[in-house]
Amino acid sequence: MFTNFFYTLKNAGIPVSPTSFLRLQKALSIGLVNSLNDFYTAARTILVKSERYFDLYDQVFAHHFEGAELKDPDETIISDMAKALLEEWLKNPKEIANALGVDESKLKDMTPEELIKYFMERLKDQTEEHHGGSKWIGTGGTSPVGHSGYHPGGMRVGGISRNRSALKVAMDRRFRDYSQDGPLTQAQMGEALKRLRNMVPEGPKDQINIDESIYRTMKNAGEIEIVFDKSLKDRLKIILAIDNGGWSMEPYIEIVRTLFYYSRAQFKDIKTFFFHNTIYDRLWEDPARMRKPFPVNDLVKLDPETRFIIVGDASMAPYELMAQDGSIYFEEYSGMPSYRRLEFIADTFPHSIWLNPKLEAHWSYTRTISMIREIFPMFELTLDGLEKAVSYMMHKN
Amino acid sequence: MSCEKSPNQFTGAEKYVLDDELAEIINITMALEMPLLLKGEPGTGKTMLAHAISESLNMRLIVLNVKSSMKLVDALYQYDTLTRLNDSRFGDSKRDVSNIAEYIRMGKIGQAFTADEKVVLLIDEIDKADTDFQDDMLDVLDQMEFDIMEIDKTIKAKHRPVIIITSNAKKDLSDPFLGRCNFHHIAFPEPDMMERIVRVHFPDIDKELLQNAVEAFYRLREINGIEKRPATRELINWIRALRSDPDFKAKDLVKGKTPYLGILFKKSPDYSLARNVIERHGK
Repeated sequence: MFTNFFYTLKNAGIPVSPTSFLRLQKALSIGLVNSLNDFYTAARTILVKSERYFDLYDQVFAHHFEGAELKDPDETIISDMAKALLEEWLKNPKEIANALGVDESKLKDMTPEELIKYFMERLKDQTEEHHGGSKWIGTGGTSPVGHSGYHPGGMRVGGISRNRSALKVAMDRRFRDYSQDGPLTQAQMGEALKRLRNMVPEGPKDQINIDESIYRTMKNAGEIEIVFDKSLKDRLKIILAIDNGGWSMEPYIEIVRTLFYYSRAQFKDIKTFFFHNTIYDRLWEDPARMRKPFPVNDLVKLDPETRFIIVGDASMAPYELMAQDGSIYFEEYSGMPSYRRLEFIADTFPHSIWLNPKLEAHWSYTRTISMIREIFPMFELTLDGLEKAVSYMMHKN
Repeated sequence: MSCEKSPNQFTGAEKYVLDDELAEIINITMALEMPLLLKGEPGTGKTMLAHAISESLNMRLIVLNVKSSMKLVDALYQYDTLTRLNDSRFGDSKRDVSNIAEYIRMGKIGQAFTADEKVVLLIDEIDKADTDFQDDMLDVLDQMEFDIMEIDKTIKAKHRPVIIITSNAKKDLSDPFLGRCNFHHIAFPEPDMMERIVRVHFPDIDKELLQNAVEAFYRLREINGIEKRPATRELINWIRALRSDPDFKAKDLVKGKTPYLGILFKKSPDYSLARNVIERHGK
């Protein structure tokens, strides 16, 4: 039962599994589902496993069980229908005229505007239901807009269904807010970054080391000696280097700022540096990149276990990356191309990645992005990208 | 397929207001004997639901509060080595030191399995633990059995518990996990639902106060840029505070006076933001 519905859900992009479909059959067979309402709820709770797909589910449900009335026609729908009628009229005036039961020549004399008006008036007259016959809005009519009409757009009027309420629920699209698109918020970032942690023994010795205690006790010939250990705490070090210069980063300021504030609040040991386009001899500790330089060479003094995260669009003129004096700032001329500097950072910190706010689909159009990807693994600054980045950084342990 | 249908259907409890949809989901879940995964904003009553089920069906509730450092075995059983070590040294207890089984204590899941009657098992905030924990645990819940390695014994559930799992996470749990449970997302209640919820907690509440407070509450929730939006819990505490203040009149809320903001907004930037918005409206 409902196999088509299952495949419609699948085709719409909701990850539904055959097992859960069988489970739904079981629920149906034990007599728990007695109405379309029940079916709506049961199928959703069993088949759909994330609120992100609830909206899509509602749409598919409304579409699939469309034997029911979708919505009461309002002014805009009527005007849409009138327009559709006009299109039909232009294609095949005779048929429409016949369907409407009026003389073709009468309509021929009208301008398109007049036609629209005429159609709309006729549509508004149709508040009552009309079945069969040559009435042009009715369930059995030959009209292009009726229930069983042959208009490809498939607009429909009338037709009361006993299934109304479940569909009305589905039509409401209550779960639109939870759909997958939408900007990355701080809370979502938190979810993605939550697993980024590094457990090390820290603090007071308050955990019993059982193996060691037994061993010592044996050595003491049965005199109990209990050994305590430090418990594991998260002591992850993070360096966040942010490209905050230039117009090319302008569109991403909001999202980078969210990342910045979130990570400042979340991670206890975090250093933030700033740079423009790419890294040369110096990083900057102040966002204005003026007062507090930090020599890149000094990075070796830091813990190599630090996760080094670079955030930038990696888009620049190729010479800025490759040329010996590539910087657009004169005082940063150093004799070593930025490319080498980046390699140096990647060597110093084995857990380093590059987060790019540009969408991955666009990466191949920028040459410097491909070059930098040879040095750092690059991830999109999106929910999915962050998750991938986190699992990458945790796996290389 | 044999499937015992629970004679008592869940319809809501004394302190819990339930919408029809959720009631049905719970009944289906109980009939299919599957874990139910509940997601939703904090304060939508995910945890309360388990309490309500256990109360209305008269079943014992066992709560497993998941912690980030938790290992699966902690939730199943514990082998109390220290007591055994102590007993073997001093030998002044009635336990038999050579019998390891006497030093096995059941964890929360173990208790639910070994209970003599059907219980409700609430696994709270599963998202705190890492993915491996979640997947392993689901295996245990799926098979309804686990092994105690130390004494080579398999514990089988006497009665399948009703399992409710809650998660605050915005992101999805792993696929194998999701494949084994039913799912529901509790949306934040609409104002009229909220009025019913409040009335359950304060049966004698003045109608004017109720309406004004709920209205003000939803207005405050909508303020742009609030980081932690007040939830049901905050509203109920707030109303409790308003009611206990003899000088407070329900009309004040319409006039834009909003006392005890600190109950609703618990982060200082949120608090000052809300304060500013209210003052601007007051003028």
